[in-house]
Amino acid sequence: MKGIEFFRNVSIGLYKQGDSYVHRLTPATKYLWLASLMLSGIASSSYIGALLPLALCLAIGGVAGIRPSFLLRGVKPLLPILAISALLQAVFSWPGDTSTVLFSLGPFSLTAKEGRLVLMTAIRTLSLMTVIGLFTSVTSEGESVHGIEDTLAPFAKLGLHPQRLALAVGIALRFVPILAGELESIAKAQASRGANFGSGRGGPIAKARAYLPLFVPVTIRALERAEILAEAMEARGYAEEGRTRLASYPRQKGESLVKLAALAACAASFIIDYVFK
Amino acid sequence: MPFIELDHVFFSYPESPRLVLDNLCLTIQAGEYIAVVGANGSGKSSLLRMLNALRVPVSGELRIDGKASSCEEGRRAARSAVGLVFQSPADQIVSSSVEEDVAFGPENLGLPRAEIVARVDSALAAVGLAGERRRASHFLSAGQQQRLAVAGVLAMNARCIAFDEATAMLDPEAREMVLRLMDGLVGSGKTVIHATHDMSEASLASRLLVLDAGAIVFDGSPEELFGEGRRAARSAGRISEAAEALGLPDCAALAVALGLEPRIRESAASLAARIIARPSATGLALRTDPTGHDAARRPARASPEAYAFELKGASHSYLRGTANETPSLRGIDLDLPLGSMVAFVGRTGSGKSTALQLLDGLVAASSGKVSAFGLDLADPRIDLRAPRMRAPLSVQRPESALFELYAGDDVAFGPRNLGLSGKVLVERVRHAMEETGLGYLEFRDRQTRTLSGGEKRRLALAGVLAMDGDALLLDEPTSSLDPATKRSILDFVGGASRRGATVVMATHSMEEAAEADLVAVFAEGRLVASGHPESIFFDRFDPAWGLRRPFACEVVLALEDLGFPIGARPLSIPALAAALS
Repeated sequence: MKGIEFFRNVSIGLYKQGDSYVHRLTPATKYLWLASLMLSGIASSSYIGALLPLALCLAIGGVAGIRPSFLLRGVKPLLPILAISALLQAVFSWPGDTSTVLFSLGPFSLTAKEGRLVLMTAIRTLSLMTVIGLFTSVTSEGESVHGIEDTLAPFAKLGLHPQRLALAVGIALRFVPILAGELESIAKAQASRGANFGSGRGGPIAKARAYLPLFVPVTIRALERAEILAEAMEARGYAEEGRTRLASYPRQKGESLVKLAALAACAASFIIDYVFK
Repeated sequence: MPFIELDHVFFSYPESPRLVLDNLCLTIQAGEYIAVVGANGSGKSSLLRMLNALRVPVSGELRIDGKASSCEEGRRAARSAVGLVFQSPADQIVSSSVEEDVAFGPENLGLPRAEIVARVDSALAAVGLAGERRRASHFLSAGQQQRLAVAGVLAMNARCIAFDEATAMLDPEAREMVLRLMDGLVGSGKTVIHATHDMSEASLASRLLVLDAGAIVFDGSPEELFGEGRRAARSAGRISEAAEALGLPDCAALAVALGLEPRIRESAASLAARIIARPSATGLALRTDPTGHDAARRPARASPEAYAFELKGASHSYLRGTANETPSLRGIDLDLPLGSMVAFVGRTGSGKSTALQLLDGLVAASSGKVSAFGLDLADPRIDLRAPRMRAPLSVQRPESALFELYAGDDVAFGPRNLGLSGKVLVERVRHAMEETGLGYLEFRDRQTRTLSGGEKRRLALAGVLAMDGDALLLDEPTSSLDPATKRSILDFVGGASRRGATVVMATHSMEEAAEADLVAVFAEGRLVASGHPESIFFDRFDPAWGLRRPFACEVVLALEDLGFPIGARPLSIPALAAALS
């Protein structure tokens, strides 16, 4: 479709408001689940071990009232990358690969080992995207920022500044749509003076060249917006030290068990790995 | 002890020798309501920022409750005593949710959580946003965002709230809401300082400061500058040229034009009663000449054969096909005659900007048909650059899209895309720059970033004008400008229109809309009315649109209510004055 709309490509903020038990968990617990499921998804070398996070996410999503299709929304954009990785496996061979050849076409062949690798990559991608999908749909922007603060709080003694880091992440998140908006407005201003955006014409190089005049004003606007925000924060007495916080996340009943379960899930995937090797 | 005291304050920025504040002495008592006016660049913003200790005097002293802002204790006192509300509603939001944004200040003060909760509650209640506390702050309307900013400073227990042109980007309804909020704050004992370009807004204050080149050139009551005390203040030499150049609030301007004594904050009804009571008004009711000045001013255009733009059932949604799809225009049917001047009016978010972008092919209609100069913009065979360059659009705040190092090059960007070069190109650029009041020889080699705000706006408009299109699409071209710059931009827009260009302009100013041939009123993405400004403002006006009638129109209606129809329907102050004298 012709026309200019950069906002469509900003997919941050797909939080699904809800009041389920899963939604009410403290952000730190959600981060723990995120970390342990991602770890088990990445590290397991068995199909079942890598599928475990996917299965758990679908189950947790069910409790939180989130449809599987919504959880899997991040998978589709990655399909071309999966296809390319499958192709590479077929084109190149592993040294000393003696497994049976599944099929061959001219010089290209896919062996059982390569087939297994392709399948593992696909399962891992599916699992990881579902984990991320679940986390972002039950964690609001504010929670994900405060979660960083809470999760990293123990490291403050080591000289880390969790509050500062959390604020930086929060502002970075807020600036994504702001910059997309600025970019869009400037692109429109240039397009109406003949720059080539969304006109439905021109090759890839011509299209890339049209972006050059955007670079300077978007950078300047980003800095201006940052300065305005800094001034607004400064005017309200921004202090790096000694800040308190309005947001509080009361622990849910059985929250410790939920945390233990996260660790157990991670451990389970490794045990499964060991058993099914 | 006075609340705020500026003692021979000088201020300049490190990189520039120009004095931004020049020997300022000022005392502000608790509970005052002060308006600060002056041209762009006169130092209003710097003054307000200084009160909050965001700026520190180069020499001289600012004292809050006797404490100098140069020491750490005084700086902290200034931060919590004086809260700032800035011009752009969205730019000052710090947190992602309403309540957390309000809590930001108290969090910085290190208050215990229970205290923060109590302050957030009372601040949100004070600005009428208690029901929105859990909402995402960027989903609020512009007016609500300004009230959120006020809540943010109230939660710091600020005793003074300084508004830096905080109404400039708002629609008429949101503007009134913020002004009422200021009144309420003054009523509850807070000090309010309001920097503004709008003299009617300024006259609501009880004390008025006029700044010119960083110095206070007038410090008195609005009555003295705009009202009953004007004559005495003038003969005492208290009204400088700079103060004179600011103009008058509408009611005072009309009174002066009719030889009546100006009164500030005068309603249309009260002024109408005084007009009738004039000794020369005896023949007023007898005047039935239907060709008043206003009708004669505009050359009657022959009924158009052709249209510059045609919208047939045009609809548009943002984020189409995603979970956050938001309809922005619904089934718009509108034909804009060639050579006409059209004003798009309506609340913020009513669809004006999207409609302009639709006309320019910058956004595509999701259904319905849009044609520009007979060309169907949805036709896959056309290169959209052609219709876009034929009707260039100046977006909101067009100066943010300037990108060339030198001013002349930026204006040349469009004509170059049209394939112009050499002498023709130079002539085109020269003409466009002079037309917007930027002398070609003086400005062509100036660095774009060194221009003032008003000059940048004019340069951006010159870039659009240099396309020499058959139409000009302008999205709020005069927003946030001082009265003089505003006037010069309207003059050039009028000039383009007189030369036969079709001009379509989105605006929050009903006075500007009244100058058009056709006014299109948008509400919630629908076109709710369109027609000649006389018919829109006199016959079909609906308060539900969230708009206001031009003051002249209100006076005419008040005269009719009093049994004195004037037989003409002027919409501007000069036209009404001419019709009445």
